[in-house]
Order: sequence, then structure tokens, then C-alpha cells
Amino acid sequence: MTACPHCNTALETPVSCAACKRPLSLADDVGPFDVLGLAPGYAIDAQDLRKRVLRISRDIHPDFFGAAASADRDLAERNSARVNKAFEILSDDVERADWIVRSLGGPDEQAERAMPREFLMEVLEWNETLEEARATTDTLDPRLVGLRGELANRRAAALASIASLLTPLPTRGSSKLLVVRQQLNSIRYLDRALTEIESLRLARAATR
Amino acid sequence: MGYIELNVLNNTAPEFALGIDLGTTNSLAAVWRDGRPIVLKPEGKSALVPSVIHFPRDGQPIVGREARDHAVVDPRNTIFSVKRFMGRGLKDVAQELASLPYKATETERGLIQLEIHGKKYTPEELSALILMKVHDVACRSLGGVETTKCVITVPAYFDDTQRQATRDAARLAGLDVLRIVNEPTAASLAYGLDQRDKGNVVVYDLGGGTFDVTVLTIEDGVFRVLATSGDTHLGGDDFDQRLAGLARESIAKEHGPGIVDDPGFQQAVRMGAEHTKIALTTDPEADFHVHVPELRLNWRRRVTRNEFDALTKDLVDRTMDACRRALSDAKLETRTIDEIVLVGGSSRIPAVRKRVEHFFEKKPHTELNPEEVVALGAAVQAHILVGGKRDMLLLDVTPLSLGLETMGGAVSKIIQRNSTIPCEATEGFTTYADNQTGIDFHILQGERELAADCRSLGRFKLRGIPPMPAGMARVSVKFHINADGVLTVGAKEQSTGVTAKVEVQPMHGLSDGEVETMLKKSYEHAQADFDARRVADLKTEIGTMVLNTEKHLNAARAGLDKESVLDLQDALAKAKQATSSTDVKAIQKARDEFERATLPLAALLMNNVAQKALMGKSLGDV
Repeated sequence: MTACPHCNTALETPVSCAACKRPLSLADDVGPFDVLGLAPGYAIDAQDLRKRVLRISRDIHPDFFGAAASADRDLAERNSARVNKAFEILSDDVERADWIVRSLGGPDEQAERAMPREFLMEVLEWNETLEEARATTDTLDPRLVGLRGELANRRAAALASIASLLTPLPTRGSSKLLVVRQQLNSIRYLDRALTEIESLRLARAATR
Repeated sequence: MGYIELNVLNNTAPEFALGIDLGTTNSLAAVWRDGRPIVLKPEGKSALVPSVIHFPRDGQPIVGREARDHAVVDPRNTIFSVKRFMGRGLKDVAQELASLPYKATETERGLIQLEIHGKKYTPEELSALILMKVHDVACRSLGGVETTKCVITVPAYFDDTQRQATRDAARLAGLDVLRIVNEPTAASLAYGLDQRDKGNVVVYDLGGGTFDVTVLTIEDGVFRVLATSGDTHLGGDDFDQRLAGLARESIAKEHGPGIVDDPGFQQAVRMGAEHTKIALTTDPEADFHVHVPELRLNWRRRVTRNEFDALTKDLVDRTMDACRRALSDAKLETRTIDEIVLVGGSSRIPAVRKRVEHFFEKKPHTELNPEEVVALGAAVQAHILVGGKRDMLLLDVTPLSLGLETMGGAVSKIIQRNSTIPCEATEGFTTYADNQTGIDFHILQGERELAADCRSLGRFKLRGIPPMPAGMARVSVKFHINADGVLTVGAKEQSTGVTAKVEVQPMHGLSDGEVETMLKKSYEHAQADFDARRVADLKTEIGTMVLNTEKHLNAARAGLDKESVLDLQDALAKAKQATSSTDVKAIQKARDEFERATLPLAALLMNNVAQKALMGKSLGDV
């Protein structure tokens, strides 16, 4: 870990110095783990991550730089945005995995779009159930409640498989990255259906 | 040995800033004093300044309570609810305009203008008048202490254009806006909830014209907003309109349908309905009275609370829908909510309280006045921003997704709603034709999939891309939302480093040039206003100085040389005489002369005070 250019204290994160409370200049290509001063890895302690982000935010949020020199104020604004973005990526299991795959030179989501035939058949089945449920009125169709449970279980299973594939972190260009990408793509299908069900649930709750 | 430092000459005030709630119905200011926020009110009066402006045929516009008294007699020239027009076009507010007696037009860029006495005013200019009044009331109740620094609140669900319009209004009012803060988030700061270790809070904010619900979590003194939802077309005004409908229908039957188009009638019904609604918060039954002497109309009817609840049930339902959406976005369930805070005058409606309590299965906080809580919270944030408080931090979100129009009229979302601000995101684009040298971008805000259904924030063009085959250019577009929730956009072609001249011309907003022109215009009037104010202040000041001098001069006369006494008596007489003048320069000169002449007296008095302070103490004690 490097030291603060102003007071030479060892830095917890490159965005600011906890000792002299000044925001520091940050290169564009610094990734989310580095922004928060964390070692890269898929497993993450959610509470530790959150507390860390709150602590850093309390050092560099632009609210505290109203009277500072404009260069420091701009840095505080930009670095806060970087910290918020890093938190958004790392606190979400899917986004974190996606970032790790890309950073290790794995395929991006556009490159690996082909899904297995059986999976696509299943997707068609969900969509049929959703279509039928949309046609009914009043409460949420019991079949949808069942489907929601099933999709949530599959999502959890996909995430568990991603976790084991990414722990320990695979080497650059490893074939595991391709498998993770496929799992992530299947989660995108699951999430789209789950979002549909959720908006249907909200719409039904609002029906009067 | 010690020494004493008489601190009588050090009167530099610590820096402070106002928290201003610029509301649809009422506006007010608060400030941080002695460790807590307090609302600023003229002695013995309410802190609320009705957000109403009356334009007399001659003379300066009148704002506040006095303006409201003109509503029935001169409805066309008395403006209510201007906040509903902020950052909007005619099409957006057609429904509102139908029930208001104003003549409205639109500029070619879609900026709404209200016509009063043949002059056109933008909502920004009208809001500026309200802000000036609130600022004036606040500074007066602080005993004439001046500050132009402030935090202004907006509904959480305001879009970028509406936020910019609020900022422009403040600029026109001569205010220095430290921050635009979301109303419900501000409200959470007022309740001192940071005292708790950790918890989830819902703020239910039903104001005069807008509804917001915000879910936030508090941990380690940081207030982090998880989700916000709402409706910028739902508020207390709508509840009034339901009651007004009752009156309109019945009166039209008795007096013929023509009467409902009369502006005086419309205002009388509005105000009667509001009155009835307020009475029904405490009484199970109330009178609805519409009296317009000019139309020989004196209508009266009893309304029960049950009747009112039935008329407005769907409005309350709509607020609960938004609560469900916000909880869903925050990925929380009602049982995980620890506190509920009620904000906005309309949250006093008993049916609203009942529904909220039933939905969350918890008694909401109502200890603070729901009409003051937003301003109080804004004062807390203002105190943080001037560097007075470092143990608390607010992390807010952007309420609506932001994106760019893609080929075929769809929207590519670049920043998702409920992202913590400040935030930034970059997206890559490329050219679709060989040798294409420019790309048009259309910035959109909203949740809908089609560009046509989202709010257009502006367009810009990246030019100067060197000719190359289609798909080769690598253009990155960067969105940045600052801590005010205001967006800036930049575009860059990666291989050549060409950057876009990003001139985002806001729709339904003022251009910088227009703001400048308006400012110039207002300065012309401002000089006269300022002089009148200065004359009043100087007269008060001279009065106090005369009083003090006369009080001390006789007792201290012996200690002063004759010349000083004559000089002082002469200056005192001249200052007294000057108070009958209206010439600001003459009064200022008399006051300054007077002050100079009092200096020997002041020095003598100070000496006496110091001696008294030292009396009876040995040198070692001090």
C-alpha cells in the first residue's frame, strides 16, 4: 500500500488519506477493489464492505469540502462517485462476478450469448406461465408464486456455482471464466422473469 | 500573570446558512442555533409564508399571507402553486391549468410563462419572489443578520429540469445555493434519528402538490437512501379539488353551469375546500362554505369525515402504491422498517395516518410539526455544509434512471434509478455508417422503455470524428450526477481524443443567457428595493444609537472634554434630523458622522467597564 503524498501516512484506500482528510488524485483505470483498498476476491463480507464504504464516505464526501480549494472539492466529488460505483459493483454478487470475469480477460456478456437449447425451452415455459397469469385479474396467480420460488432457487444455485468457480480466483484467461459467464447470462434471464413477476405483484396489489 | 482580553470589538459572526423549504402551498426557513435546528418566524407569527404572489395593478408584487387575501377579489393576478409549473411545459400541466384562472403561454423551447397585467413571468421568476420573501422574513427574525447562503429542498421525485429550475429561481433571488436536498431525506435529518445505532426508516411526505416516499437506512451516523418513489402530481391540492368538485356540482345546479368558469368563484371554492379539509382533521364533521358577494353566492353544506375519506380514497391508495414500489426497490419488507416519519401538511389527514399505520404496522412519528420538519432538516444539512457538523452524513440517490436514445427510439439506461449520488457511469458507442463524422445524442430521464415516454433533458452532438469504417470509432459517453442530483454529460472519441462540445440545452428550462438577462432586470428594480430597505435599517440603527447616547451622556459628561461633548451633541441632532429624509446617502452620512462622534464616549464607557470588571480582584487573579 502506498503513502499519502501530503502527510506520508500509509493509505487504506487510494481515494483519500484518513489521517489528513484530503481526497487524492485517482487514475481512471483503478478498479473497484483497489478503489476501496480491498484485495480482489469473490468472497466478500457484506457488513465489512458497507462499514468501510461509510468510513471512506465520511472522509471524502463533497459535503465536507464546501469551503475547500476547488481542486480538492472536484476531487471529493469525483472520488465519491468512484467509491459509490465501486460499492454498487462489489455489494452485488452478480456485478462483482461480472467485473472479475472481465478483469481476468474472460468473455464479456455480448461475446457469450448462446444459451443451451434446454435452457431456452424452459425460458419459453416461464414466459407462457407469465402470459397466462397476466390475463387473470385480482391476486397474484398461485402458479406465479410457485414459479417465483423455483426461479429464486435456481438463481441461488447459479450463484453458488459461480462462487466455487471463482474461489480461489482463476488465472487469467482460465476456461472457468467462460463457465461463469454462461451462469451469469442464465441469471440475466432469471432476473428478467423475476422482475416481471415483481411488477405484476405490485400491479395486483394496487388493483382495487 | 494573566491578562484580560476584552472581546467587545470582535463581532464577526460565525458562518451560517439557511435551510429553505420552497413548498407548493407554504414556504419557510430554518437555521441551526445552539445545537439544534429552529424555524425562523417573525415574533408571534407563523413561520409559514404562503407561496402566493399578488400583482397589484401598480407597484411591487406582494408575497405571502397578504397576497392570499387578494385571491378571491383579484384571482387572475394572484398566483398559487407555482411550484407545479417549475421545469414543466404546457402539455405537462394542462390538467392543473384547467382549474386555475391563469393565462399561460409557452416559449419556443417549451418554457411555460404566466401572463399577469400583460407581462409574462416564468415559474423561476415567480418562485424567486417567494424565495426573496422567505429570505427577508428569515433575516429579519435573526435580527437583521444577513446571509445569502442556503440549502433549498425539492421533492425527491423532481427530475433534472425541475431541479435546475429551482436552482435558477434561487439565483434570480440573489441566493447562493450550497445544495439542493430532497425533502423526505431532509426530514429524516430533523428527527435526530442518527442517535440510533442502526435502523431502517420510511419517510412518507404528502405535501401541497407532490408526494414522495423514501426508504433509508442509518448506520454509523450515515443516512443512506436506499430507494425513493413518488408522484409529482399528487398532493393536498388534489384532496381540495375533490371537495371542490362537490361544491361545483351542487352550485352549478342552483346557479347555472356558467358560474363554474368565474375565476373568483374558482378561488373561493378552492379556499373553502381547503378550509373544510383542515377542519376535518380534528372534527368528524365540518362546514363547507363558499361566499362570493360579487356573484351573490352564499353556499353552505355539512361534510362528514367519512364522506371526505370516500371522495379521496383513491388518492391515498396511490400513495400506498408508491410505498410498495419504494420498499420493493429497497428490497425490504414492512416488518424490517423501524421508524416511520410523517411529513407535509396533508399527512395530518386522519385517513392518511390510519392507512400508513396499518400498512407498516407501526405508529409513525408525528412529534415535529409536519409542515416545519423539511425546513428543519434542511437547516441541519446547511449546518453540515458550512463545516459546523462532521458527525453526520447524508448519502442520497437519484430518483429516476438516466439514459440515451438508441437507434429505433428505445432507451439505453446508463444510470439506474436509486443510484447513490454523486455517481458516474460511462457507456461505449460507435458509428453505424462509413466515414460518419458526428453522432447525435439525446439524453432522457425516466423508467419507460421508449424514448417518447421519457422526459427529454436535452440533445448534443459529438463532431469531428475522423472518417473511418462503420463500427470502428470508439465513443465513450460519461454521465456524472453531482451531490445536488444535477447531471453533466461528456463524450469523447477514444482513438483520436476528440471531445464533444456538450451544450445540453435543457427543455422547459432557462438558458444561462436568459438567467443573466432576468438577473440584470431584477437588479434594476433591486436598487430601489435595496435603498428603501437600507433607509429603514439605518433609521432603526440611528434610533438605537440616539437612545444609548442619551442614556449615557449625562452620567459620563464629566469625564469627556468639552469639544467632544459639543461635537457629539451636534452629530446627534443631525442624525435625528436625517431620519426624516429618504435619501439613503444623506442618512448613511449622518449615521457615520454620528458614530465617529460617539467614539470618545464609547472609549470612556469601555474603560469604566474594564475597571469594574477588575475591581476587588488582585492582579494575580486575572
